[in-house]
Amino acid sequence: MTYRDRIASALDDGLRFAGLYATDAVVRVALVEPDGALRLESVEVHDKRVPTIVDLAVAAAWDEREAADLYGLEFDGHEPLRPLVEHDLDLRHWTVPVHGDDAYQVAVGPIHAGVIESGHFRFHVVGDKILHLDARLFYKHRGLERAAEGRSLQEGRAYAQRACAACAVSNSVAYAHACEAAVGLKPNAEIARVRTVLLELERAWSHLNDIAAVCAGAGLAAGNTFFAALTERARRVNEQLTGHRFLFDSVQVGRSAFVVDAAAVAAAREDVASIAADSKSGWRELLFNASFQDRLPDIGIVTAEDARTLGAVGPAARASGVTDDVRSTSRLLAYDGFVPVAPRRVAGDVQARLEQRAVELLQTFELLDTLLDRPLAAAEATAGNGGSPIGLGRVESPRGATLCAVEQDAGRLRRLHLRTGSYANWPVVAHAAAGNLLPDFPLINKSFELCYACADR
Amino acid sequence: MQTLLRNLQRLRRTVALPAPTRGRSLALRHVDAGSCNGCEHELTLAASPYEDVQRFGFGIVASPRHADVLLVTGTVTTRMREPLLAAYRAMPEPRRVVALGDCALGRGVLADDTEIVGPVEAVLPVDLRIPGCPPSPPTITQALLDLHDAGIRGDAGPPLGGQAPSGRLRLQGRQQEGRRRRRG
Repeated sequence: MTYRDRIASALDDGLRFAGLYATDAVVRVALVEPDGALRLESVEVHDKRVPTIVDLAVAAAWDEREAADLYGLEFDGHEPLRPLVEHDLDLRHWTVPVHGDDAYQVAVGPIHAGVIESGHFRFHVVGDKILHLDARLFYKHRGLERAAEGRSLQEGRAYAQRACAACAVSNSVAYAHACEAAVGLKPNAEIARVRTVLLELERAWSHLNDIAAVCAGAGLAAGNTFFAALTERARRVNEQLTGHRFLFDSVQVGRSAFVVDAAAVAAAREDVASIAADSKSGWRELLFNASFQDRLPDIGIVTAEDARTLGAVGPAARASGVTDDVRSTSRLLAYDGFVPVAPRRVAGDVQARLEQRAVELLQTFELLDTLLDRPLAAAEATAGNGGSPIGLGRVESPRGATLCAVEQDAGRLRRLHLRTGSYANWPVVAHAAAGNLLPDFPLINKSFELCYACADR
Repeated sequence: MQTLLRNLQRLRRTVALPAPTRGRSLALRHVDAGSCNGCEHELTLAASPYEDVQRFGFGIVASPRHADVLLVTGTVTTRMREPLLAAYRAMPEPRRVVALGDCALGRGVLADDTEIVGPVEAVLPVDLRIPGCPPSPPTITQALLDLHDAGIRGDAGPPLGGQAPSGRLRLQGRQQEGRRRRRG
């Protein structure tokens, strides 16, 4: 069977596209089975050419464009293959042509008006109406994946972590899982519990921050300040538990080294309970604020079908009715019996994405309450079923499924690839913007609240 | 809404941040030159009720044309070099550049050499360095206070900002500084 046939039949069998990356000699596609198991399909590069799969999996569009730019590949059938990471080509190469009476472009960024990461948005508009949005990221491309090559597996973790402070734990855990799969280690129950605590702490501050951001986007200063205060409290819990406000360096490959005694765990659990109570009361206030609520529905709509086609992940996908959550199939983490939640109104708009955060927060606080019932102990991973040159890890970050692929040779990284929830969702933001008014874009964008850093790497 | 506001009032009383001893003012413009998003998240929380950097008259402004200080985060990527320079050129004199966070200072940077220019000082004259990965909100506030006070004394370059709390008075102050500089 050809590469394209293998991908097509896997997708027919219910597997979903989870990422594509290139090396000098091959292009690999990660697919995820309904039970969460990962499968890898590869195709050899001939004459710098490989067949495209973008017609089979639309979600592969950015991945192929990135591989084309960074490895000089041609994807046969991907027409036009617009540059993504490459910035040296002029406007007409990387924008979708939009013609017609009164159509013009609005250029925003890379420097934005607030404290926001760098990235460029090219809006094609008529009046206030957005016809199309070309998002041009990678201003922050630091070549982290290439820089990690040749490092030991333990050293490589810093590169995955530093891709993004807001997803530091998610990226680190995905990386650790990938490395452990590659060297044949299996994290034991205690490592799983510690990592789950860290992942949920990251989700807690992140979701609180996202609610604050939407309040800011809608001009509700009191709501923004309220949830910013809660975000600060959540970061302080992080610092008290791990010594770092963004939980840096708390995840390690093959073991868990960080120890928290009974008193500190109990204190953290109490803090989390208090943040949870205040967050619930703040959320109730937002629900009863009519002028705020009026601002949210029916803008930036992503239908369930579009979410599935574009490969949307995380809270944004779930707010559109795609119920996938890596946590329900994470056998290497302590999410037994996890069932994804949904907002009351699964409309795929700004309101649904905001409420998705609020209901997920309740789950996160409950999980933390359950998991923080005893001290966190150091632990070593146990030997699993052999190793392999390539390891994969997939974790639910606050912004959605994050895939990490590690190719290693005698404990050294030959290739590191990170496909984060933000990376998957950026094309979805562009899609959600079309048809809306330009002044609504900041709010639509904030309802996704994606990172630029871990998309750019 | 009443509950939100009551809660924030209570929080203000509990946190009990000391009131500023005198009027200060600094207009800040942030540019992310290639960060991991950590410094941005901490800078954002410098405005939370636990730190409230605005109590000193420090605020983020939307354009470099309104700014006294350019706050630069991250190691400078090759792609952000030009936008960063453009922002700096757009600023009125006197101006200061602050390198915020370890990456901006060139410490412990993880990156492929071909993708980055280097630390902020490789591109712009840096007046203040704030270390940390990332620096916490109180660290950022304290460093900016030091920068402001050193600027008022004229320790490094022409005097910066104003002591008067009113925007109008401050503007007059700046015009005078401008004249002084031209003569000098």
